[in-house]
Amino acid sequence: MNFDISSEQNILQDSVDRFVQDHYELDKRQLLVLTEQGFSNDNWQTMAELGWLGVSVPEAHGGFGGNEIDTMILMQAFGKGLVLEPFFASTVLGAKAIADGGSEDLKTKMLPGVVDGSRQLTFAYAEAQSRFDLNDIVTRAQRDGDDYVINGHKSMVLHAASAHQIVVSTRTSGGQAEQAGISLFLIDADAAGVEITSFPTVDGQQAAEIKLEGVKVPSSRLLGALDQGYELLNSVATAGILALAAEAVGAMEILYKDTVAYTQEREQFDHALSDFQVLQHRMVDMFMEYEQCKSLLYRATLEVVQNSTGAQRSVHALKYYVGKMGTFIGENAVQLHGGMGTTEELRVGHYFKRLLVIDAQFGNSDHHLALFAA
Amino acid sequence: MDIDLSSNDLAFQQEVREFLAANAYKNGADYAEWRLNWFKLAREKGGWDVSKWPEAFGGPGWSPTQHYIWEQETAVAQTPWDLPFGLSMLAPVLMNHGNEEQQNRFLPDIRDRKVNWCQGYSEPNAGSDLANLKTKAVLSEDGSYYTVTGTKIWTTLAHIADWIFCLTRTSDAGIKQQGITFLLIPMKQAGIEVKPIITLGGSHTVNMVHLTDVKVPVENRVGEEGKGWGYAKGLLAHERTGLAGISKSLAALQNLRKQASQVKRGNSTLLDDPSYRAKLAELEIDLMATEFTELRSLASAANGAEPGPESSILKLKGTEIQQRIQKLTVEAGGIYSAAWGPMPVGHLFARGGMSGYLSSRAYTIYGGASEVQRDVIAKNVLGIKKSQSK
Repeated sequence: MNFDISSEQNILQDSVDRFVQDHYELDKRQLLVLTEQGFSNDNWQTMAELGWLGVSVPEAHGGFGGNEIDTMILMQAFGKGLVLEPFFASTVLGAKAIADGGSEDLKTKMLPGVVDGSRQLTFAYAEAQSRFDLNDIVTRAQRDGDDYVINGHKSMVLHAASAHQIVVSTRTSGGQAEQAGISLFLIDADAAGVEITSFPTVDGQQAAEIKLEGVKVPSSRLLGALDQGYELLNSVATAGILALAAEAVGAMEILYKDTVAYTQEREQFDHALSDFQVLQHRMVDMFMEYEQCKSLLYRATLEVVQNSTGAQRSVHALKYYVGKMGTFIGENAVQLHGGMGTTEELRVGHYFKRLLVIDAQFGNSDHHLALFAA
Repeated sequence: MDIDLSSNDLAFQQEVREFLAANAYKNGADYAEWRLNWFKLAREKGGWDVSKWPEAFGGPGWSPTQHYIWEQETAVAQTPWDLPFGLSMLAPVLMNHGNEEQQNRFLPDIRDRKVNWCQGYSEPNAGSDLANLKTKAVLSEDGSYYTVTGTKIWTTLAHIADWIFCLTRTSDAGIKQQGITFLLIPMKQAGIEVKPIITLGGSHTVNMVHLTDVKVPVENRVGEEGKGWGYAKGLLAHERTGLAGISKSLAALQNLRKQASQVKRGNSTLLDDPSYRAKLAELEIDLMATEFTELRSLASAANGAEPGPESSILKLKGTEIQQRIQKLTVEAGGIYSAAWGPMPVGHLFARGGMSGYLSSRAYTIYGGASEVQRDVIAKNVLGIKKSQSK
């Protein structure tokens, strides 16, 4: 048993911490938010050069061959800077779906581009009616000779506008909410019949609604087995949850530390705010819940890496707790910053927004509590 | 990073399991005899009877992981009752601050479970503000003994104790943490009166102890006069780590599940009730987080560090979890939880349910109230200092 990261991982951590420090001051970030693409191509290239975009891509396809712990280190640091580049959509979700479910041919064709930054992926799993159920899918893929034809609608797809390919969950058989009968396909974003409508999300990122009308995709673009795609879908979602939780833990650290610093500077009633015990105890609770989230993050991540029997339950526990405590820490960070906390000028509000969005992605707190209790 | 037990740790876990299974209490046996024999056999394993003692004093010298395994296994096995006062609270003070003569005089009897100790810290006006204590110890002119007068309160098991380790005031000079002296006093003597305090759960565990002109030979003083606060403070950190009771709570939660599955509700059981299930799930997740916080703290202790600030998190979270388990036990018992005392009515597990819950209210008060723990974390971990007020 050992909670220390390896010396290689230490180097990774140092370099990502430096990146966040150099490129993610709030002012710089907010300028990027205002651009149409919503992130920086220079940063994206830097991430590629440092090998991060291939962190979880197998070495055989030009990646670093790392595991969820390596991704955790990156995402925790990205959470501290509210990093905007689509690492999560492209590497954590898209590349994993291809690496775990694609044919050798497809991997060889797709993954090197992900690693060098020339190819960007995303993952379309949600639908308007599905809420948080991965298996609730009405988008259909029908066989047509050697191809499949996809019709349907995908919701809240991260960074779809800048993506080259999109992993889409579809129903090839079975009823609307059955786990059997789900198949995943990799479609080109510029294929005929793909209509992408982009919009910004609350946290300054980009997402899109995607309409799929008669989109043709060759059967070689099938990821995982036909009708048996749920397992792959769930394992990509699991990787996504671990990464989002790591990002959330990074954001929580900034929130509680900023709050401790601010209350020591700000004076009211002739005292620093931090002199007031009611505020001290609130901050202690913020700190403790940050530590508890970190403990569950380590637990779930290590159990997934080691394929332990309790891993799936720990992932539910993690997403529940991070959602609940992200809101708790965010609300209190804003509250303790007073009026200034409610403005866009201070960074706490931006971290709070990110935590709110993280709770809504891949199943919120209530959803995962119900799955845990089931 | 990994959470595997090494092959050595797995072998150790197996050895512990075998020891606990081979020496479990057998129905009909003489309990007292079994108990002392259990400790003797544990001692022969290489200090397992004093698992937390350092190797130099006969302890097993386990790694933090081995301690964790021991906690887990003993939480679910039947082990003889044991009291922490001599073994886990006084013994470390004697090892660190007592002289050799005191170590030789007191440690063997503690180890043999021959002598019961109690802890004389709190006073009617020194609870969370422990340094406010007023029990006076006056040194005789010839310097051979102290005369001790004062009142101690919440003294657990003082009524069966042979000795008390006491914080006393030998000087009022300086700040109140100074001038406190650590004394060891036999209980069975004139001038010491023990009065029971009955707590909400209906049990007699704690007491008020009056000391009137009790003469204590100077050789019963641990360390230097006036330095007792420093010795006790280290002890308090030690006490807090032990109070989290994570392994016991994990076992208790398993029991609770079993119990809830025995409680019928229409055609199903309480375990199928969505709101009860959700409460159980939330409790289990909090416990899973706290368990890993403890593992992280054990892992950092492996580098030889003293119990640090995370021990304060553990006491806070651990005791809240223990209370919630009691509360859910009461809920599972339903109306029968209301029966006072061990009346043979309702589910076996529900008997005395409310008493247990009421007793558990003390968990977030003793060993440093949760609010005091938050003060400590604010100061020592968050680094919040009192500002210069204008």
